[in-house]
Order: sequence, then structure tokens, then C-alpha cells
Amino acid sequence: MDVIIQAIINGVMSGSYYGLAALGLTLVFGVIKVINFAHGSLLMVGMFTAYWIVMLTGWNPYAALFLVVPMLFIFGYALQGIVIKPILEAQREVREPVEVIIVTTGVWYILDNLALMSFGAEYRVVQTSMSGQIFMLGDYIFPKAQTYGLITTIVTSGLLLWFLKYTRMGKSIRAASLDRDAASLMGINQYRVYNIAFGIGAAIAGIVGCVLIPFYYVFPSVGVVFDVKCFIIVVLGGLGSIPGALIGGLIIGLIESIFAQYMASTWTELIVYVVFLAVLFIRPAGLFGEKRDW
Amino acid sequence: MNASSKRKTIDTILKIVLAGIVFTLPLWMTSPTYLQILILLFFYAYLTTCWNLVGGFAGVLPLGHSAYVGIGAYTSTVLFMTYGLSPWLGMFVGGILAAIVGLIIGIPTLKLRGAYFALSTMAFGEGVRVLVENTMKLGPFEINGPRGISVPLKMGTPLENLINYQFVDKLPYYYIILILLCIAIFVTWYVSRIRPGYYIIAGGEEPEAAQALGINVARYKEMFMALSCFLTAFAGTFYAQLNLYFFPKGILSLDFSFELAFIALIGGRGTIAGPVIGALLLRPVGEFSRIYLSAVLPGLHLVIYGLILILVMLFQPRGLVEPLTRFYNWILDKLSGERKEVKA
Repeated sequence: MDVIIQAIINGVMSGSYYGLAALGLTLVFGVIKVINFAHGSLLMVGMFTAYWIVMLTGWNPYAALFLVVPMLFIFGYALQGIVIKPILEAQREVREPVEVIIVTTGVWYILDNLALMSFGAEYRVVQTSMSGQIFMLGDYIFPKAQTYGLITTIVTSGLLLWFLKYTRMGKSIRAASLDRDAASLMGINQYRVYNIAFGIGAAIAGIVGCVLIPFYYVFPSVGVVFDVKCFIIVVLGGLGSIPGALIGGLIIGLIESIFAQYMASTWTELIVYVVFLAVLFIRPAGLFGEKRDW
Repeated sequence: MNASSKRKTIDTILKIVLAGIVFTLPLWMTSPTYLQILILLFFYAYLTTCWNLVGGFAGVLPLGHSAYVGIGAYTSTVLFMTYGLSPWLGMFVGGILAAIVGLIIGIPTLKLRGAYFALSTMAFGEGVRVLVENTMKLGPFEINGPRGISVPLKMGTPLENLINYQFVDKLPYYYIILILLCIAIFVTWYVSRIRPGYYIIAGGEEPEAAQALGINVARYKEMFMALSCFLTAFAGTFYAQLNLYFFPKGILSLDFSFELAFIALIGGRGTIAGPVIGALLLRPVGEFSRIYLSAVLPGLHLVIYGLILILVMLFQPRGLVEPLTRFYNWILDKLSGERKEVKA
């Protein structure tokens, strides 16, 4: 029984950073209605930025947040404005321009391989004050870095929900995701909304980077590890749904850690896919998705 | 003879010359490296043409076609290894199996919107890879998990080689894949000219409008999915026989599925010539930049590849088939126009 409870704790921990990683993806999808295939690469950029800041300054990764988040926001904002906006403008009448998928995949290839060219293929780790540290609560182990990650996930999603609900920009984002034409008629500059949504998505990837570096390897193709997982999480939770992404992340994390008690970890991966396809067959909109999106 | 019929004759002549060049290409391009590149080029053109039946005409974006290539390769090879069944027959068994699997996946997912379909096919493709990597033995069949399968070498008389789909030389493979490509192009051309073809193109562009006209869009999409999977599996058998070795990380990889979508979109999605043009442009760029640049700076060739994808999508979102058709028509006009002037 203890083993199971510990597995649940571990599952919640990893599920929380999966959910955080998927948050940016689901936000961007909710607004632009297109899957951002460069999302994993944005995570990679976030991790490398966090890695270098921590390495060069020796700061705590959570102090690095104050540098990483604005940097990634600007990066995402510029990326959307320069690369994706022209396609969205050209394909204005199409609801889900597939061209964007190809373009973001191009961005993925470029970013991953630029990282490979600049930093090499080796796996990097950074030693921080919290690496390898644990909290004990009764007999159960709470790794310190992951616990901070869980708290960060809760705080970040709370802030994001507040931002979307109560700020002017947040309301514009929601309006544009409901109906972009009507939002434009109401005087919302839809391309600026997209830029900001994309920037926020990238900034969240930066937060994930800071959360992950105390206990995760950094390497140029690290994004691919998260890519497919994030896609599954957002579809499971419902594309465009923020609570869906968090709960989808938890489900994947729990499946992985609980089933790992009974079988080889290569099989747990398969179970994730089976659960995913089963959910899709039974409830295609995902757990929290809206019918109009599928 | 008037200009338009003149134009038609020149068009036919040009096409015959082009076909003649393609069919006699190995005679003057004898270098095995180039022959291999050409074989792979047609292999990708063939696969993309099959992909295009769903990805192009049905207006969805399948990202898991590697699964059907894998089904083809594994089915024909394990049947050959266990029962000595000729891969030519195994190819059809694999094709039928792939079509059935395609239907099982397609029936629930083809009703979904684009993004959901793309992601679920992608998850399906990855799921198949993980499944194969975890399977050592399936009933009497050796699957070998992540190590992959080597096709047992059985060289004999030319006739036996033909039955066993194994050749000493690369030349027969060139003609096999070329014929397969011609068949796939013919199938695409044919189905786009019959009723289901019109239905599916309409359904791909405006699902609601097509449904309002009483077209069962989902059913025609399923038909095209099955056809596409059936033909895709043939390429799996071809790949297995060409390399005589394959493993899940290669033949079932995500990159492979993605590449097909890239080729189709760069060439021109939903057109007959698009996949071939896409393969013709993208494959050599990929191959040569990999050969010459990866030694200089690893990763550079993929940066270039990514840049090409972005630039084409920015400036030719309908694919390169459009400007090339315009160019071809311009040549025809010039040729027929000049003749007319000479006559006058």
C-alpha cells in the first residue's frame, strides 16, 4: 500500500509539470486553433535559457524565472509576429490553416538544430541547492525540486486563469478565441492578441524550463520528449481547455507512475496511448473540450 | 493545324519524352549511389501519393502513416520467414491488414476536426511503434522488438529471385518502385474522376455544405483511408526487400510520417503531380545537404530543411505545383506560339 501511495505522490509530481508544459500549448491552440508543433522546442529554449542563467550567475532557478520569463515572452511574441502571422493573414478565411503546422514544424527543426550546433548533443545537468533534496512527510518522500514544481504549476495556472478572466487583454484573448471575426469587429486587434497569446505560451515554457532544470537533463532534442506527451495531454483534456491540460497532465503522470509498479516502463508508454485513443473514441472532445472544436 | 491542337501535340510529346527519360534513367546514371537516391526518391513519391489520397483529398492531416508502412513490412516479412510465402503475396496480405487497421482507426477519428485527427493519428503511429518495440514474439512470428528484422537472404535463379522479391542488383528495385508509383498516380487520377472522388473533395473543402447536399462525407473518407493504407503497406514490403533489414525506430518513426506530410504540402496537397514534385525537390535537398553538410556542422542540414519548409509555406502556400504548372504552360505557349509564327 505504501508503495502505491508513494507512486501516486510521484505521479502527481510528474503530472504537474506535464500539465504545466501542456498549458502553453492549449492556450495557443485555444486562440489560434492551430497546433503549435514548435512547442517542445520552446520548452527546450526555456530549459537552455534557464540552464545558462543558472550556470553563469549561480542563482537559484526560481530567481532565474524573473529573467527567463520575459526573455521567452519576447521570443514567443517575435516568433508569432514574424513567422506565423503572415500565414494567418494569408489564410484568413480558413479556420485551421494546416500550413501553420508545417511552419511550426520548420521552426522546431531550426531551433532544435541551432541548439545542437551551438551546444552539442551532450546531456547537461546543473547542480542547484535543491537537486537531490527531499522532504519527508511520514514515510513518504517528496523530492524538493518536484514539490516546488507542483506549487509553481498551481500558482502559474491560477495567475493565467485570473489574467484571462479579469484583465482587459485576457478578455480580448478569450473573445478572439470564441470568434475572431466578431472580436475584430469589436475593435480587438486579433494579430496582437495572437502575438501575446503566443508570447504567454512561450513564457510558460520558460517557467517549465526553470522548474525542470534542477532534476532533468537539458539537451537539444529534449523538446521531442515532451512534444508527443503534451499533444496527448491537451487532446485528453480537451484542446484549448486550461483545467483540461492540468488534469490531462495528472492523468498521464499517474498512469505512468502507478503502472510502472507492475510492468516495465516501456509498457506504460503503450498504456498511455491506449488510454488516449480510448478517450478519443468515447469522448472525442476530451474531458473538457468544447464541441465546436472537433 | 491550329495553335491549340499544336499545343496538345507538343504537350503529348513533352510528356512522352519525360516518361522516356524516367524509364531509361538508370541506363546512363549507372552510379549505385545515384540509383539508390533515385529509388528512395520514387519511394517517397509513391508513399506521398498514397498519403495524398487521405491527406490531400479528404482535407485532413494524417500524421501516422508510418504505422501502415510498418504493417506492410512486418506482415510480408514474417510470412516469408515463417511460411516461406512470397513477399509479393505477403504484400497483399499486409495491404489488406493495413486497410482494416486504417478503417478501425479511421471510423472514429475521421469524424473529428483537423487538429484532433492529426494528433490522434500521430498518437496511433507512436503507439504502434511502442507496441512493436515491446513485442518479441507474436504467436509463431518473430517480431524481435527493438532489434528489428533481417529478411533472410535466399539467392537463386533469376526466377526464384523474382518470386522471393530479392535481387542482387538495385536496378529491378528501381523499376518496381517506378511501376508502383505509376499505379498509385493512376489510382489517384482515376478516383478523382469518379463520383466518390468529387464527394470527398467537396467534403474535404466544405464538410457542412457537402453534408447538406446529402453526401455521407465520413463514409467516403473511410473508403479513401482504406485505399490509402492498402497502398501504403506495399511500400513497407518494398522497403523491407530493398534494405533486407528494418527496425521500429526507423520504419515506424514519427519523422517518417512527418516527412510525407512535408513532401505533400511542399509539392501541392490534393493535386496529382504535387507529391511527385515535392519528393523531387525535397528529397535531393535533404540527401545532398545531409551528405555534404553534416560533416561540417551536424544539424545544419535540418536547419536548411526547416527554412525551406517555412519559406515555401510563406510564399507558395498552395505548394510548388502551382508555379511549376504555370512555367510548363508558358513553355507550351512559347513552343506552340513560335511554330505559329513560322507558319505565318
